[in-house]
Amino acid sequence: MNPTLSSRWLLSTLTALLVAAMACGGTTPGTTTQLPPITIAGFNFPESSILAQVYGQALAHSGITVSYKLNLGTREVLVPAMKSGQVDLYPGYAASDLEFYNNKKGEATGDSAATTAKLNTYLQPLGLIALTPSAAVDQNAFAVTKDFATKNNLTKISDLAPLAGQLVLGAGPECPTRPYCLPGLQSVYGLHFKDFKALDTDGPATRAAFKSGAIQVGLVFSSDGDLNQLGLVVLQDDKHLEAADNVVPILRSAVANDEVKGILNNIDAKLTTADLVTMNQQVSLLHQDADAVATAYLQKHNYFS
Amino acid sequence: MPARLFLEVVDPWVNWDWLSKHIPLVLDALQQHVALSAIAVIAGLAIALPIGVAAHRWRAVRGPALAAFGILYTIPSIALFAALVPYTGLTFVTAEIGLISYTLLILARNVVVGLEAVPPDVLDAADGMGYRPLARLLRIELPLALPAIIAGVRVATVTTIGLVTITAVIGEGGLGQLILKGLIESFHTPLVVATALSILLALVADLVLAGAQRLAVPWSRGA
Repeated sequence: MNPTLSSRWLLSTLTALLVAAMACGGTTPGTTTQLPPITIAGFNFPESSILAQVYGQALAHSGITVSYKLNLGTREVLVPAMKSGQVDLYPGYAASDLEFYNNKKGEATGDSAATTAKLNTYLQPLGLIALTPSAAVDQNAFAVTKDFATKNNLTKISDLAPLAGQLVLGAGPECPTRPYCLPGLQSVYGLHFKDFKALDTDGPATRAAFKSGAIQVGLVFSSDGDLNQLGLVVLQDDKHLEAADNVVPILRSAVANDEVKGILNNIDAKLTTADLVTMNQQVSLLHQDADAVATAYLQKHNYFS
Repeated sequence: MPARLFLEVVDPWVNWDWLSKHIPLVLDALQQHVALSAIAVIAGLAIALPIGVAAHRWRAVRGPALAAFGILYTIPSIALFAALVPYTGLTFVTAEIGLISYTLLILARNVVVGLEAVPPDVLDAADGMGYRPLARLLRIELPLALPAIIAGVRVATVTTIGLVTITAVIGEGGLGQLILKGLIESFHTPLVVATALSILLALVADLVLAGAQRLAVPWSRGA
């Protein structure tokens, strides 16, 4: 035999043996009880860990064995693990997940129910399901300072219409070309700002520009933990310009029995964007632990009584 | 604009209050870090040693084996983990496959280099004394190659202790989990503590291996 070939054969055999040996030691057989154990995954940002803990602790309270795999990189790592059943549930976002599973076809709209329904058509063949989306959203949003909102009686984006000609908008440099940003504000809301300042997407430059008064309206994420502290308020997107990134649990159909669905839907029915802001603030700024913040939230809303 | 619109949060390098409440978290991470590193180097050596010996003995094995390990060494870790997750999951095993792969090149090369450096007259003498090939390998060649092999283990260990942190993307990572937490939350304490512990761990491991080398190979103080 050709020695080069035999060495390759040796290598691949060794590798295969190693993988097989480790795989045998690592997997645990599934149990077939009434309430199967659930492994909850989360992405690597605080809100995802908080939501995973909120879901997980509520499920655990009902006697389900819950384990966690938090701070995972991206959907590229997480989704294969969902498909193969190594994790069962993760806190998703309706529009972002739709655009992941449909390979960025641009089907997500501002309507969370329609976006989730569309998402489910992609999830079903994979043995996955998205439940009812929550009213809580983490998406692009336009904010003003509290003082400015009070003075001009602003609560929603369309309230800006009479003022826009005197205001400066700040957002990332891509804003003038993105439908959800400047073009959308013009075509959907009829807003024509005095000026646009290219800053960053919801970063320190935007915050500094608010502080110095260089901008009056800025792009932020709706559930940012520092909005309260910065004295910023998000204007309601009353004409649904932004794709609906409502919080929605995505789980394997195999574990989606009525009890589990009931618990998760009950949480999402009550969860608000303001709750997310508060909990994100507790974790990101006050450095409390995500599990403790989730416990406090569930206690406050009487899930444990 | 009101004066107190923006609250400037001052984050100290180490928040001792947070640290004192999270000692178990830090110790768990440290323990996982040690386990991930130790298993990677031991398993890596178990694979690299026989292949290194084979590569030394049969020239034809050497090129392909080192090339294969070289290719493994260059695979971006994120890509490797994404490829492995469907088969081995978000587990210790997936993390280890990645970490072991990255030790193989360093370890196998040093085994080969160590064996090549054994003086030919020593081998002649061993043959003349009637050593059979296996006995010659075990009693003469490997002991003489030991300084180079241990040097490889030291490099592999220190490298692995640093690399372990990247397995945080699949939910492992040991101290990497704390570093990730610090980065995500712009929170200095876990970042500083985990980084310091990781460096300290690498230094301690290197010192321990250097001590082991002195004991195992007392005739070569210089390596």
